[in-house]
Amino acid sequence: MKNSAGLNWFVIIILLLNSCGRSQHASSGMPSSSVIEKAERLSINITDSCTVITLYNPWQGASSVEIKYYLVKRGNKSVSLNDTSKIIYVPVRKIVCMSTTHLAMIVALGEEKSVTGFSGTGFIYNKNLLQMSEAGLIEDVGYENSLNTELILKIKPDLVMMYGVGSESAGYTGKIEELGIKTMMNADYLEIDPLGKAEWIKLFGALYCREELADSIFRSIMGSYNEIRDRILQENLTRPKVLAGLPFRDTWYVSPGNSHISTLIRDAGGEYLWEKTISSVSMPLGLESVYLRSMEADYWINIGAVNSKNEIPAIDSRLSTIPAFKSGRLFNNNKRVTPGGGNDYWESGTLSPHLLLRDLASIFHPESFADHELIYYKPIE
Amino acid sequence: MHTAKGVLTAQHGRRIYILAILTLFLFVLLFLDIFLGSVTIAPSEVINAFFGNCDSNIATIVLKFRLPKAITAILVGMALSMSGLQMQTFFRNPMAGPYVLGVSSGASLGVAIVIMGFYSGIAPADLMTLGNWVLTLAAWLGAGAVMILIMAISVRIKDVMTILIIGIMLASGLSAVVSILQYFSNETMLKAYVVWTMGSLGNLSSGQLKVLAITVITGIILSIFLIKVLNALQMGENYASSVGVNIRLARVIVFACSCILAGSVTAFCGPIGFIGIAIPHIVRNLFRTSDHKILVPGSIITGGVVMLLCDIISQLPGSDRVLPVNSVTALVGIPVVVWIVIRNKKISGISDE
Repeated sequence: MKNSAGLNWFVIIILLLNSCGRSQHASSGMPSSSVIEKAERLSINITDSCTVITLYNPWQGASSVEIKYYLVKRGNKSVSLNDTSKIIYVPVRKIVCMSTTHLAMIVALGEEKSVTGFSGTGFIYNKNLLQMSEAGLIEDVGYENSLNTELILKIKPDLVMMYGVGSESAGYTGKIEELGIKTMMNADYLEIDPLGKAEWIKLFGALYCREELADSIFRSIMGSYNEIRDRILQENLTRPKVLAGLPFRDTWYVSPGNSHISTLIRDAGGEYLWEKTISSVSMPLGLESVYLRSMEADYWINIGAVNSKNEIPAIDSRLSTIPAFKSGRLFNNNKRVTPGGGNDYWESGTLSPHLLLRDLASIFHPESFADHELIYYKPIE
Repeated sequence: MHTAKGVLTAQHGRRIYILAILTLFLFVLLFLDIFLGSVTIAPSEVINAFFGNCDSNIATIVLKFRLPKAITAILVGMALSMSGLQMQTFFRNPMAGPYVLGVSSGASLGVAIVIMGFYSGIAPADLMTLGNWVLTLAAWLGAGAVMILIMAISVRIKDVMTILIIGIMLASGLSAVVSILQYFSNETMLKAYVVWTMGSLGNLSSGQLKVLAITVITGIILSIFLIKVLNALQMGENYASSVGVNIRLARVIVFACSCILAGSVTAFCGPIGFIGIAIPHIVRNLFRTSDHKILVPGSIITGGVVMLLCDIISQLPGSDRVLPVNSVTALVGIPVVVWIVIRNKKISGISDE
């Protein structure tokens, strides 16, 4: 039984590869509009009959995992398969999302009306979506391990956009898939390059058949981002040293040098204290070792949910002896938050690396970016 | 008669000797704990830090990070092993300990409610800002509630085995409630709670350290006064009443003392496992006695020694990474207990063989 199922799969995949491969041939010579430039875990291959989405290692710690999805235009009968679980009919009309970053991309494409369910509606920042949620148009489908499958069934979305957290996620996606609902993994949160994160809008472009809009949005984001980065490089500014984060008890989970925040700091003309450290996960460092490094820091950013300076010694009185604290060069990424705790940094911020970069650049180099008003960051006083 | 007395004196001498060696160990490890850490500092600089003539950052690390952490380790080790010894004697059961009786679970539930229930509407990161006092208070309340419940039951029911079983049931029930909370909480909250359960010694503010020191020292002084009561309780309740011990009062005092010790540690440092149950067994084997005149000081000192050792290991000297201390106490302790169990074919009994 198991064997025949495996064989079935094999046949399906061959069929799919064939059908898409052939069409690719037919369209060869035409430049594909969805070339992925920065995202490392996503590839989009547009053919005549379908769009093939390939995700590479879409969860933390995955190695040589490749997941393919086949996006087929509604009404297109040319692709017919026995097993349809990886076929997603586009444009998607109803979607359930698990992460605020997905919402930002859908909003950017003007497709917010398609959002019918979300995990943790209390954490939404976007006003339109919040209103929709209050009006009952967006249901709260619960959290990953306590997902309300009955509610999802009731919503009957065309797609549930997941984010994979290792093998645990397999359990709950399996159940939903078994019920005939399409799911898709999303690994935007694993991208190290801020532009790579934003480039995942192209996935949504493909899902909503809005490829060109998605491409143009990304191109303009990349243009602004590169402009700021190049300007900083050209001006050859001195790079202030930057500390980021907060300890939890006596352990400080430090983002490594190959992380999103480290890349942003570098491109904004700063020097992240752990710039040269390579690690696939955040590193649990002893508080005393981080404390010693923090002595060099000129700036301290991304300070948890801290809103005012006096909250820091309340967390740990020793933190108040850090020079960046004493000099008051403290900036946090929680300027745009809702009373419910939704932070736009984690929502539209993902799709606005150019704005994050400009914020950080103006923090590190106020003389060069004097006219900029902070968007996502605010000084902590 | 002559020889018997001679044997007794020889044993007594041996016990004093072991106690002295353990005390020496305590000081050696205390120094090692201050000299080693996730930052490498030359020993001479560490010494200079105490006399105020070295780099101010080094001084901060030695005096504000390592010294309080080492003191916390000693207090935690002393308190947990003392609490475990009292509970084992009290219930005349080698398996008793703060974990088994639900005191730690009560504290955990308090913290779980704060992290995963109460704050579910607030950004999880706010937890860090709200500080440890909220968590501490919650752990105290949880431990206290369980303690009062168990004491109320122990007033009505005299049979210690029944109380032990109720304690185990209570602990399981509380853990189930924590599991439900975990089930319904999101990833960030879950992480915050899991980090708390890993235990931590180095996060106490000087105010918290004072509170911990006062409660633990009070508990330990009380324990020293309770040595006779513990010896009497060990012989059975009938024996205890026959030598004039007020059983009901003795129970309440021993139990309260044990819970204060375990509760304050859990409140400030998270649930730290293994120490409470294992140290008394190690001490009984080391000293080959069930006399609390030896077991009480023995447990106090051994507890401090083992906890310091665990703290040194958790700092992974030579690397800037750290391990959760709770995992270290388990990994260091379990082989020791297994070794003792295998060597003796059974966990050492509470009474003399």
